[in-house]
Formats: sequence, C-alpha cells, structure tokens
Amino acid sequence: MSAPEPTHPLAAVVRGRHGATGGEPLRVSFPAREIVQVMMRRGQDSAVAAAMRSAFGIDPPGPGQAATGSGASAIWVQPGQWLLTAPRGTQATLAARAEQAFAGLAAVADQSHGRTTIALSGPAARDALARGCRLDLHPSVFGPSRAAQTPIAQIGCLVHQTDATPCFELTVFSTLAEPFLHWLLEAAAPYGVQVA
Amino acid sequence: MTQRHRLAAGGHVDRAHRLGFTFDGRRYEGHAGDTLASALLANGVRLVGRSFKYHRPRGIYSAGVEEPNALVELRSGARREPNTRATVAELFDGLDATSQNHRGSLAFDWMAVSGLLAPWLGAGFYYKTFMWPAAFWERLYEPMIRKAAGLGRAAALPDPDRYEAAHAHCDVLVVGAGAAGLAAARAAGMTGARVMVLEQDFLLGGDLLNDAAHDAWRTGTIAALAAMPGVTIMRRTMAFGFYDQKVLGAVEQVADHLPEPPPHTPRQRSWTIRAKEVVLATGAHERLIAFPGNDRPGIMLAGAARTYARRYGVRAGETAVLFATHDAAYESAFALAEGGTRIAGIIDPRTDSVAMQRAREAGFTVRAGSVVTGTIGGKALRGVEIGALGSGSRGDALPADLLMISGGWNPAVHLASMAGTPLRWDDSLLAFVPGEGAWQRSAGACGGVHGTGAAARDGAEAGRAAAVAAGFVAGADVPLPEAPAADHRPFALWEVKAGGKAFVDLQDDVTANDIRLAHREGFSHIEHAKRYTTHAMGTDQGKVGGLVGAAVLADARREPVASVGLPRYRPYAAPITWGAMAGGEVGQNFQPVRRTALHSEHDALGAVWMDAGLWKRAAYYPRPGDADAWASVKREARAVRERVGVCDVSTLGKIAVEGPDAATFLDRVYANTFSTLPIGRARYGLMLREDGIVFDDGTTTRLGPDRFFVTTTTAQAGPVMQHLEFHLASAWPDLDVSLASVTDQWAAMSVAGPRARAVIAAVVQGLDVANEAFPFMAVADCVVAGVPARLFRISFSGELAYEIAMPAGYAGHVWKAVMEAGAPHGIEPYGVEALGLLRIEKGHVAGSEINGQTTAQDLGLGRMLKKKGDFIGRVLAQRPGLTDPARPRLVGLRSVDPNRQIRAGSHLLVDGQDQGWITSATQSVVDPGWIGLGMLRDGDARIGSEIVAANPLMGEEVPVKVVTPHGYDAENLRVRA
Amino acid sequence: MLRIPCPHCGARDEVEFTYRGDATVARPAPDAGTDAFHDYLYLRRNPRGWQVEWWQHHGGCRAFLKVLRHTVTHEVRGVVTATGALEAPQA
Repeated sequence: MSAPEPTHPLAAVVRGRHGATGGEPLRVSFPAREIVQVMMRRGQDSAVAAAMRSAFGIDPPGPGQAATGSGASAIWVQPGQWLLTAPRGTQATLAARAEQAFAGLAAVADQSHGRTTIALSGPAARDALARGCRLDLHPSVFGPSRAAQTPIAQIGCLVHQTDATPCFELTVFSTLAEPFLHWLLEAAAPYGVQVA
Repeated sequence: MTQRHRLAAGGHVDRAHRLGFTFDGRRYEGHAGDTLASALLANGVRLVGRSFKYHRPRGIYSAGVEEPNALVELRSGARREPNTRATVAELFDGLDATSQNHRGSLAFDWMAVSGLLAPWLGAGFYYKTFMWPAAFWERLYEPMIRKAAGLGRAAALPDPDRYEAAHAHCDVLVVGAGAAGLAAARAAGMTGARVMVLEQDFLLGGDLLNDAAHDAWRTGTIAALAAMPGVTIMRRTMAFGFYDQKVLGAVEQVADHLPEPPPHTPRQRSWTIRAKEVVLATGAHERLIAFPGNDRPGIMLAGAARTYARRYGVRAGETAVLFATHDAAYESAFALAEGGTRIAGIIDPRTDSVAMQRAREAGFTVRAGSVVTGTIGGKALRGVEIGALGSGSRGDALPADLLMISGGWNPAVHLASMAGTPLRWDDSLLAFVPGEGAWQRSAGACGGVHGTGAAARDGAEAGRAAAVAAGFVAGADVPLPEAPAADHRPFALWEVKAGGKAFVDLQDDVTANDIRLAHREGFSHIEHAKRYTTHAMGTDQGKVGGLVGAAVLADARREPVASVGLPRYRPYAAPITWGAMAGGEVGQNFQPVRRTALHSEHDALGAVWMDAGLWKRAAYYPRPGDADAWASVKREARAVRERVGVCDVSTLGKIAVEGPDAATFLDRVYANTFSTLPIGRARYGLMLREDGIVFDDGTTTRLGPDRFFVTTTTAQAGPVMQHLEFHLASAWPDLDVSLASVTDQWAAMSVAGPRARAVIAAVVQGLDVANEAFPFMAVADCVVAGVPARLFRISFSGELAYEIAMPAGYAGHVWKAVMEAGAPHGIEPYGVEALGLLRIEKGHVAGSEINGQTTAQDLGLGRMLKKKGDFIGRVLAQRPGLTDPARPRLVGLRSVDPNRQIRAGSHLLVDGQDQGWITSATQSVVDPGWIGLGMLRDGDARIGSEIVAANPLMGEEVPVKVVTPHGYDAENLRVRA
Repeated sequence: MLRIPCPHCGARDEVEFTYRGDATVARPAPDAGTDAFHDYLYLRRNPRGWQVEWWQHHGGCRAFLKVLRHTVTHEVRGVVTATGALEAPQA
C-alpha cells in the first residue's frame, strides 16, 4: 500500500488574482519541496563538504548563502547547519538520501512537512516584502543565491532569492504558513498578485 | 464667500483650483496648496479654538508642526480625527473641520467662565483642591475636570482605514527638505549613495517656499534629485523618533490629503528606516515672548505671518504690529507690507540695529527700547499696548488686528537629542544647539546655521561628509543659492513683566507665574517644573514656548538658562496617530494564528476553539443533545474512560536531540536520568530552572544510541529550546549535540481508552501491539494507515493510550483512518477540556501546577531528582526555603456537596487561615461531582480532612475534602493493561 | 531600537535577538556549592558603561553571541560568537 499524497498546508487557499487589477501582477506559488535539516557533527567540516559534494553536487554554502547542485539546493541556516531542499520526487526521499550521505558526519532531520515554501516573484516583490521584512533586499546588498532568516509579520522566515526577477522563496513553519500567506497577499495587494 | 484676505498673486497655491470645505458647519473656499489654516485665514477666520484650561479664545499661532492653538477635528463619523493641527492639515475638496473644546458655540463658550476663576486655577490647583474627600475624586472631580479641560473627541467607531508598516535601508538619510536638506541630499546623491529624503510637508523647500528669489534653485535641485536613481524623496513623511544605531521612525501620510484612501492604499504608513549615516536638516521653530495677553486670536509668530503671505498668498491681518528682538524677524514686516498690510509699528527692545534702520528708511514706525506690555481685544485682537523696556508700566496703544512676535529661533534639536547628542547653549542665538556626534550631523537652522545660503552650504557639506562616512567618494560641488543672511541673534527678552496672564505654553495654559509658583513650591528642576505645571506637555511639546518657560524658571532660580536646561526630548517629535503606531498589526495580523495539521478535521466536527498561545486548539465538540458545554466535555471524557477517544496533541513541542553527547546533555538538563533509557523506550522527564523551580515536563524517547526525541509542553516549547541552546553555548560548549525543532514536522494524536489497542491494531501495520510486545512506555517506528509513523505507548489520561506521530501532511489521512477503525468501538474525538478533566482525575500536573513557583517536592515528584551527577537546578533546589516540608504540596480536592462548584484560584482555608489555593478544577466522570487539584500547606498530613475553598470574588465558601491527587487507578493498572 | 551586527547574518534589528544578560558569569562547577550558584544566578554588576552581554539571534541563525554594549549610549562596539573572547574596556 503506497502512502497517499500529503496534504499541503495551503491547500485551502483561493487560487487566482488577488488585490489590485490591471498591470503585471506579482506571482505567488507553492513549490512542492522536500526539506532536510543537516546538522554537522563537531570537527567534520571537510567530511561533510565532501559528502555534500558527492551526494548532491553542492559545495556547502557559507553564512547568508545558498548553493544549487544536481537536483538539490543547500541553504546555510546556522553555524554548521544547512537546509537541503529538492523538488518532491518519486525516488528515495531526500531525507533517506541525506541520512545515507551524512551517516556519522551530521544529524539529519526531515522537515519536508514541517516547513512550507512560498515563492514570490515579480518586479515589485521587494516593495511588497518591505511591508514586513526588515532585511535590506536592495540588489547592491542582496541577490540571487543569497539567503537570510528573519521574522516577517511575527513569523520566522527563511528568505532565499533564487533569481534576479526577483524571485524570493520564503520558507516558514508549516503551522504558520496560513497567517504568513495572509500577510503576504495583503502586502502584495497594491501591486496585484496571482496565486498559482 | 470670497477669500477676502487672499493676495492676488504669488505663493504656491493654485488659484485656478478651488476647494470647498466647511469649518464649524460654514462653507468656505480655498485653493490647492492650502493648509486648513491658510484657507481659514484667507477667509478671515481668526477664532479657531478654545484653550485647554481657561477656555480662552485662540487663533492660528504658527504655520507648521509647532502649532499650539489651532487644533481641530477633521472629518466625521468613523474617520473623525481629533487634535489635528490646522497648520499642517492639507486642504482637500469636501474637508469637514470642527473646532473643539467648547460648550455652546465657539464664539460663546459657557466654559469660558472658568477664565473668571483663573486667579485660583494656577499650577497645582487640581492637585491641591480636589484631594479631599477622596471618594469625590472618581465620582465628581475627575469627570468634572475631564469635561472642562480636554481637547477633541476620538471617533467612537472602528477606523475603516488601513495602516501599514514598512521598512527601509539607506546609506544617507536626510530629514527635512529645506535649503540645507535639499543641498545635503544632492551632495550625498552625487556620490552614488542610496539617499532617502523625508519631508513632513507636502511641498519640498521649507523656508525656500517663502522667497520667490529661490524658486529656480529649489526647482532645479529637486529636478536634479529626481534624476538620481539612488535618491528617494518622500513627502508628507514626518520623522518622529531617532533610535539607537541610526534607526529612525517616520510616518508617511499616504492618503490624509484625500477624502478617503484609494483602493489598496493605506491611510498612513509607518516607516522604520535604518541609515548608515543621518543628516538632520529639520530647521528651527520660532519662539514666543511671554507678555500679558500674548494669546489672543490675531497674535502670531512673525515667521508664520510671512509664510502665510509669501507661500500661501494670504494676508494674516490688515493692520499689523511686529514685536521682535532680532533683525531677521523684520523680514515679516516687509513681506506683509508687500501684501498690502499696514505696518502700524515695530516694537523692539533693542536700541538700534541694521534692520531697524532699513525699516525706518522704508517708512515704518520703529519703537526702539520698547516692549509689548499688553493686548486689547476679546475674540480678536484690536490693539497692542506698548511700554518702555524694563519700566513695567503700560504706555500707549497701537490699533492692530495682527501682532507678529519673535523672541528668536530654537533649532529643532529633537531628533539630535533623541540620538544622544549633547545640547550646547549658544550665547549669541540664545538657544540650545546640537553638540558633536552621536549618530547624526545637524545642518542648517537645526544646527544653528541660519540664512538660506549658509544653511544650504552647511547642508551640502554635511551631505557630502555623510556619504563619505558611508563609504562613498565625494562628488563634485553642488550649486548653492546666494542670499545675504539676516541676523538671527536676538536680544535676551523672554518675558515682559507687566501684570496679567503671560503664557509660556498656550496649549496647556501655563503662564510665567505658574512656573514661578512651581519654583516657590520646590519644583525647581526643569523636569519637575514641567510636570507640576504641565508646561510643554501638550501635543506641541513646547516647541513655541518651552525654552521661554525654562528661561522664566532660570530667572526665578537666578541662574543662566544654560544651567536650567530643557526637559529630555523623547519620541514622538510631533504627534502621530494610533493607527500609524499599530501599523498593519491589527485584526488577523495582530498575532499569527497557529493551526495544527488536523485543524480542518476539528472544524468539520464543529469544534469550539480555544487559544493556547498562538495555537487554536479544539476545546470540545458539541453535539446536538448536549445540554451545555459541560455535557459535551463529560461525554468526551466518559468515552475515554469507558471506550476510546482520540485527541490532537500536535501542539506539544518536539525537539530532535542528537549527537555523541546527547545522553550526557539530557542528564544535565533533566532532573532525572536519560542515559540509562533503553532504545525504543520513552521516559517522563522533569526539567528544572537553575533556581530549583520546575520549568517543564514531557516524555523523551531514545531512538538510537545518540538520538533522542524530546517533547515539551505546548506553552514552553520555545523557552525550552532557548534554554537548551543557551546551556550548550554557555555552560557546556564541549558537548557535541545538535538540536532541531521538529514540532511542525510531526503531527500527533492520542488514542486513549480501554479499547485503544483494538483501534490501534486495526490501523498499524508491521508492529505487534500486544501488551507484552509493546508495553507501557514502548516506542516504535511503524506504518499507520499506509503512512510512515511513530507509535508511542504513553498516557496522560490515565487510560491505556497510544500516541501516533506522523509527518504533518498525513495527519488528516491517519485521523480519518483512526475514526473509521474506532467507529465499531464507539470512538469519540475529545478536546482540550476533556483532556484537562481526565488529567485532573488522574492527578497529572500541568501548567496550572508547574506555574514557576513550585518545586518537584511540592508536586510530589521529589523522588525523580537523581542523587548523583550534575543537573540544572540541583544545587539551588536544595536551599532551605525550597525544601521546607511546610511548603504547600499538591493535593486532590473534592467538593463535599457534589453539586457545589469549586474554582481554580479559590483559596484553601483551614480554620479560617489561608493555607493554599486551588490550581485546577473540573467535574469528575468517574465519581460525579466537582474535583480539583491544589497546593496546600502540610498537604499530605491533611488528606482526609475537610477544609474550605473560599472565593471572595464570587462570594463562595465551599467545603471540600482533601484527598490524594492520584485517586484514580493509583496502581496504574489501566495504563499498563 | 538596537542594531546588532551578527557575525553570521550582518546587522539586524533588536527584535530578532533575545537578551540573556551578563556574559562574563560562568556556570560554576557542579560541586561549587550553593553560594557559588547563588552568585552565578542572582548577582550582577549592572554597570553604567560597557558590558559584555549574551544576545541570542533567535530570529536569524539562533547563535548565542557575546555583545559589547554601552548601557548608557547603547553603542555596540564588538560582537563575537559564544566561544570568542570579548573584554569590556575599563571606563
């Protein structure tokens, strides 16, 4: 008996256009992701780096950075800790792959259900985020492959810029994804926002 | 109604664009570019309000944020906004404004009679008079005073508009867009720095708007700034506070100048701006001179009269007198004369000056060595009394409907002072100016540099220096306006002592005599005098008269003003609305709501919700036929005791603790031992604070040699995580342990009751759940209803129980499977209320007992404390005060009359003596009646005795019997069944 | 509002941090006795001036940081990670 499809925390959200009409809207989507928290054992820096390279094709990014390899990305979240993310697939779960790759080198905690990622893209994305995000996202300071954790609308959020559109992937605790999205749609309303 | 005081030409109003508005119900017309104040003056409206205490008639005193008098209510209904300064309210078509603080009409205010009582209404009057009898305060005095004093009325309806917060960062923040600010912005912008310019006005230029000669430079500079991609100019944005490390708060009035905000537009936006460098160019506020009757409508700051003439094209009077102590103020006389006002005289305490000579050459009558000793008129000024400086006697009078006064200029040092900049007394300007440093550069008039040309040069230098300090390379010079600087150095005249009310604070009705009274009565420190008299405590915060009051106090103390000083500046530099303060954090955004993965399942079952921190939890599930909430709760609890129930326990905190030192770490943070816990077993753990008081409890499971799964209570999930992280970082950095919060990853449900095993067996695959194979406290990974899950045999209810944890996305699926498998067994979902009932019956402690005051011994858990090895709280838990056997101990309680309710919070009386309290109370389903848990002195010894539960708030004294807290299944046969 | 330069995340707002007090006190050895634990838990210098303090960057990297802050001016002069050394200047 195969496991059923998990229910997405934002399954009930109304899709379509929200906020102001006319003009190119901001775009919001909910990419299905597997997410694993990797926590390095003491003194295993080079071994973890080697394991991450060979299993996922990623050099472990440093503070404030994210890196993408073969089918997976790693985002620095704490000293010696990364979030590994990959599109939800059919092969062995990301957690199982990570357990194997980092056995003895790092603890691995599956957060695929515990974290929810919301992608926001469009030229006005920075302005919308500035309604609650205290980070300086100006292109001269932030950019693609940059990541930072910060509370937004009282909810802890991992902000990861994936391209120069700009597109931001916003990862929050799943049980707080709904109020976070509520805030985000309100912040984006002046520009109009399309929820896919 | 024509605007009979509007000049034919000049200024920055659009005479082709007419705007209709009402004031106190009368219709008027103004122009685009007007403020409410300038439009009222254009229509000849002089009387705009009544004063706070004496209800004296008052007019427009200033042309800016410093306005003490012209406070009005704008709009009506839900959008009614009280205490708005007419001098900064931008006029729009259809604006509806009302005067405030009068009974009857504005012109005939019944409360003005208190003016007749004025001799007895001095400083401290209320404190002294309304003290006795004490009972009169609430019933009589306070309502009476509130009615007599006070300002506008807040809207009584919910605000229909939206407010929002916004965040910004920049290299150079320039506050103020007058000559200094514009030059600073341009100089900084030329370096390529990210520059933000904040201007509280709707037009850029500040004092430049008062002189057409500077228009070319002003518009040229604005155009140059607009062309710089790194420069952001924000109009209608007032910086209200300067916080640590160059963080400033500002409010943008996005839609205050419109009847209603357009769709998706907030009324106001509250900005938090983090700057690398800050240039303050906030200008200066002109100050009054205290003389008898200096508050009548028609008396106005000289610079304001000039602004109305030059910027708004409005003649503030037909016949004017200027009373000034420095040359720069003479510009006002020239400006008004240009507009057709007759200058009846210039009163100046000095003997001679450049401006005086110019004025005489222009044909004005200048009365050197003179002062204004009084004013004539009621609701409007009719004349000005003049006497010789220092004589104290009244001389002749000049007829005038406008008296322009200037005692000098106070640099607007509010923001600089908030930044921690020391203030320095300037003996030539007779004012406090910012000293060196502390996170800001003050440029132009706010730094004591007056005159357009000098201020602009000062601004350009500050802007360039700020950009360089932020890491940019200085650019080319910026063009500067050329202008001869008028002399702003005043003669030291703060007060004319000539008998009569000489106000130092118009808004609070504080006179020079009140300040002297404060000094005589011992309130001689500026901060004490301020509070005793309410001087400078109004919405204007003493911008116009604050320093004058300090000077009067200095005179009384026979000390220089410099050593008296000013009260400390604090945010807000000028009033802001509550809406802006709240920002977007209202309604659903006030606090995020946290929902478990099973939320929609509870919703479908009609759950009644309760808040647990941020969480929404199902309290109970009412059903048709349940008489009341208690009936539902007891039905659910009975299902658990008799058959089987299922409860969402996802909100418990869950932490994955891993690493070679994980077991050692847990032994140190828990009062009991975990290193001996076998893999695949759970154990109840008790965590103490370092002071020996119980912090939290929960079960911890060993999943592998170095892998543990810790649970916390719902309320303490965050604090426990921080507690663990702190000790790993500070006390035991040598331990190799990692912590991951997996609260959101795992949803969990408890399946409890005598038939729980049958239900579990039906949904679990690949695991033998027989009692021998899977005993109490066993844990195993397994498959439940086709999804990966973890099964725990743990119980909070006191029944045979299992907890199923599964990745949150599968929770709904598993819940449905459990409900289906449980249906033949009569399964019922139970909520937090039934959970509480069950645990009280069983005698398990929860947050009401682990309340930050109780020790392990107090809770009957003393035996859990390990005897060997270090753990947090071990040492201090042994202090005599915490080990005293007489401390209140956990007991069970039962109402002697099963129908008499007992309540949490009631005091436990033994022979009338207060000996403890009830922590939790409920109705039992095992042995019907009211039961509870409590903390009782000598609790163990009192088991079996009858005492009283007293609740004075409810007027109840209920006899209760003290029982063991663990009366239900004391041998734990049911949980081990 | 303070801005604290986190060694990992850069300058961040005070709201992202949790204050944990004087970072110069160390948890005593297990056998140090009641007085030593009492002093560790309750006795603080409360200086008017520079102090090395614990701040957790709970809203960011969750690291416990040692921050050298002036208790009057709120100037922040140095920030290091938990294992780093930071001395408060005399004065």
